[in-house]
Amino acid sequence: MTLKARPDPLIHPITRLSICGLLAAGADWIEFAALRDAAGISDSVLSKQSRVLEDAGYVEVRKGAVGRRPRTWFRLTAKGRQAVQGHLAWLAQLEEEFSASTLDARQPRPRLGDRGQPRRVLPPLLGST
Amino acid sequence: MRDAARDLTALELLRVQRGRLADRLRPRWWYLAGIAFLWALVFAAPFGSRYLPWGVSPFPLILVVALPVACLLYWGQAWATGIKTGFRNLSYRPARPAGIAMLVVSIAANGTETSLIRRGLLAAAIVVAALAVAAEVAAQQALLRAIRQDVRAGGGAA
Repeated sequence: MTLKARPDPLIHPITRLSICGLLAAGADWIEFAALRDAAGISDSVLSKQSRVLEDAGYVEVRKGAVGRRPRTWFRLTAKGRQAVQGHLAWLAQLEEEFSASTLDARQPRPRLGDRGQPRRVLPPLLGST
Repeated sequence: MRDAARDLTALELLRVQRGRLADRLRPRWWYLAGIAFLWALVFAAPFGSRYLPWGVSPFPLILVVALPVACLLYWGQAWATGIKTGFRNLSYRPARPAGIAMLVVSIAANGTETSLIRRGLLAAAIVVAALAVAAEVAAQQALLRAIRQDVRAGGGAA
């Protein structure tokens, strides 16, 4: 299966990109607190955004408890993984294009009369004899 | 242009966040001690085969002790880090060198121990077992390092 680099409007907001990008980073399941700390967001933001992602079928949520303490685990679904990979590939492509254009802009412009520069023959001005 | 810059900032932020997540995967001392205990059980098998009375095989005994310890270690690591990495076999490319090293060390050490015990060189066999345990713990650390690097790199996502 080939990976299509394309933006996904659902993942595009920075918080959802963080959540999905972290879930796609090689771990199987990530616990609520670990995801919250790594993403640097609050409990309420993570709850709200994860619900949006769960409703879209991008994230699977499993709730359990250790003793009395509830623990929530997140995992990307196959659909979510495909969308994230496509979005990240699109972002990587964008980054490549951006850095290429920045490099072009930074290239020193040849000064007139520089040695080693090919001499440009200017076209004759219109109307001149 | 501003949108593109914002998207790239988001990508950069995601890299920092992945680094934070990867740092959580550092093994605790008790995890490494548990791994050493598990491998010590494995490398005690040749001694058990030779010295257990009535020709009892040590493998069922080792399995009965090792299985709960392995499960406890896996659960404890997931509980402490908040990350379940799942079982990584040799098909997981980043972990392949460490996995192969573990396999080679366990086969070589078991063979060497068996041959030394047969010749009556018990002290040498114990030294080989101790070295093999150290090598296996080092390989386990290398495996976790490879997983951390993979997480930092995005796990092939991008």
